[in-house]
Amino acid sequence: MDNENVYLPKLAKIINIKDEVNGARPIKTFRAQLLTETNFSHRCGQCAMVSVFGKGESMFAISSSPLVKDYLQFSIMKMGRVTSSLHSMKEDDIIGIRGPLGNSFPIEDWKGKKLIFIGGGIGLAPIWSVLQFALGQKKDYGDLILIYGARTSKDLVFKEELEELRKEMTVHLSVDVEEEGWKEFVGFVPQNVTDKKPSPKNAIAITCGPPIMIKFVIQALGDLGFKDDQIYTTVENKMKCGIGICGRCNIGMHYVCKDGPVYSWAELKELPQEY
Amino acid sequence: MEKILQKKSFPKWVEKLDAYEIYSPVKKDNTWSYEIINTPGDIELDYPNAVQAPKKIINPQREVFLEFGRSDDDTLEVTEVLPEEKSVVIFGVRPCDAKALTLTDLVFSEDIKDNYYGKRRKQTAIIGLACNTPPSPNCFCTSVDGSPHSEDGFDILLTDLGDRYFVKSLTNMGNDLINLGKGLFVAPKANEKKELAKIHADAEKKLKRQVNDVEKIPPKLKEMFESAFWDEESMSCLRCGICTYLCPTCHCFDISDEVTSVAPFKGYRIRTWDNCQFPDFTMHSSGHNPRPDKASRLRQRIMHKYQYFVERYDHYQCTGCGRCISKCPVGIDIIEVLNKVRDYG
Repeated sequence: MDNENVYLPKLAKIINIKDEVNGARPIKTFRAQLLTETNFSHRCGQCAMVSVFGKGESMFAISSSPLVKDYLQFSIMKMGRVTSSLHSMKEDDIIGIRGPLGNSFPIEDWKGKKLIFIGGGIGLAPIWSVLQFALGQKKDYGDLILIYGARTSKDLVFKEELEELRKEMTVHLSVDVEEEGWKEFVGFVPQNVTDKKPSPKNAIAITCGPPIMIKFVIQALGDLGFKDDQIYTTVENKMKCGIGICGRCNIGMHYVCKDGPVYSWAELKELPQEY
Repeated sequence: MEKILQKKSFPKWVEKLDAYEIYSPVKKDNTWSYEIINTPGDIELDYPNAVQAPKKIINPQREVFLEFGRSDDDTLEVTEVLPEEKSVVIFGVRPCDAKALTLTDLVFSEDIKDNYYGKRRKQTAIIGLACNTPPSPNCFCTSVDGSPHSEDGFDILLTDLGDRYFVKSLTNMGNDLINLGKGLFVAPKANEKKELAKIHADAEKKLKRQVNDVEKIPPKLKEMFESAFWDEESMSCLRCGICTYLCPTCHCFDISDEVTSVAPFKGYRIRTWDNCQFPDFTMHSSGHNPRPDKASRLRQRIMHKYQYFVERYDHYQCTGCGRCISKCPVGIDIIEVLNKVRDYG
């Protein structure tokens, strides 16, 4: 890695943009193809810095499975300067990508286990790569279960994919408040976890979403008998370099960009609450 | 390699280094700063310490990473910009500031290498000047594994013996520089070695300030994350950030895009120093801020230097230069803070 310029992004073309959620906090899913390289290989849960030249860079979870080689996928909520300009981009526009960055889910260690994915809102994006990977290697894993919710049905991402997913694994959806035509669980995601009572036996739970949701999901899982090292999550902090140098994403001695974003609850609970 | 160089021969040596870009402390408006010098006579080594550490030469406050723009046919072009290749010598570096470079080396080349920092570091020779008397009343290098004549980070260390310098080369780069001045250097005599040892020993006794039992601080800090101590200590902070800008070991930075022309579209991606004492340093785009107040930011500064860095790299991320104490507009004094931490509870 000595001669590689770690700050130089690879150029990529946006090949597909899909509206996931509309409204005040819209979410779009972008698929991008590197212009010169095809051998970008990432692991489940890793991130990348996405550049809009003239606006800057932001870190996003790569939501496509490592098994997909044709494109990299990011699901992005319109929030600040970089995400707003990404939302105004069109297919064939050029972005920059630096990565893959950070650690990953220890998916090899989970072979033979039941995997329970628990997501809220856009938190499904970091889960999606590991979920798709497990699905692609289905024979290596036990039952696959998804418990996913959002404020309203309109705030659920990957809606079409979720319907497809039902054919291959158990999917439990929820919305926070009652709405017309909704036939599944009504309530917060942690309540849905308690309601569906996944067994901790030979299981791993992977949860991503708003910090408050994660907190109560971990409580709910604890009540069901999950041990701290059976629960995995991802952490976010503001990042610039993505390689553990610029000094802003640290939680204690850990740099989330490099040592994270994936942590087991056993690891994370030992760190100061600074995220 | 140990040598003696007469002070009157010093300019002749510097003349031989004409292939190098030479930095030295220069007096400007009653303060000292590292500047590029044009003639050997500009080098002034009878000085306390520069306001800004020489880190600014290795890790400049603003540096261009990339140039981007659109060509006439609207194609986006991105070009990397690397540091200029040249040979550099910095004279007059104090031991605290040289040791600081060995600490930032750990960060910029842990396993992922920062080529910008690495390249400048590699092409720059650091020529030090031992402190015969403390350059600042707030010097406390001996509390943090340093000393007024520490050799860490130097290619050559000079010690002032009155009309001569005791010259100690510590690297091949240092040997090469001395060899360029062949004939000017002589071997030290036994009494000169004795004189050197005495000056060094005396210098250590002249330090006025210290943090006692510093090794007790990292484990103590670990228990104090939630403590109200940080509220009290940070009360007067103006969040000006001078403490970290002047710190020789602070290295945090921002990366941002600077658009210099809209049509045709053109600009730069730049790195600039950033500062953990600023409120937006850690603020997420959602508005959530993991370090929302002065207390959490002072805690970060102290814990980074005296706990997290120790856990990660087994060194204090502080070399006791005292700049943050001398220049804080409200008198926040890291020595006092650390002494209180040690005795807290």
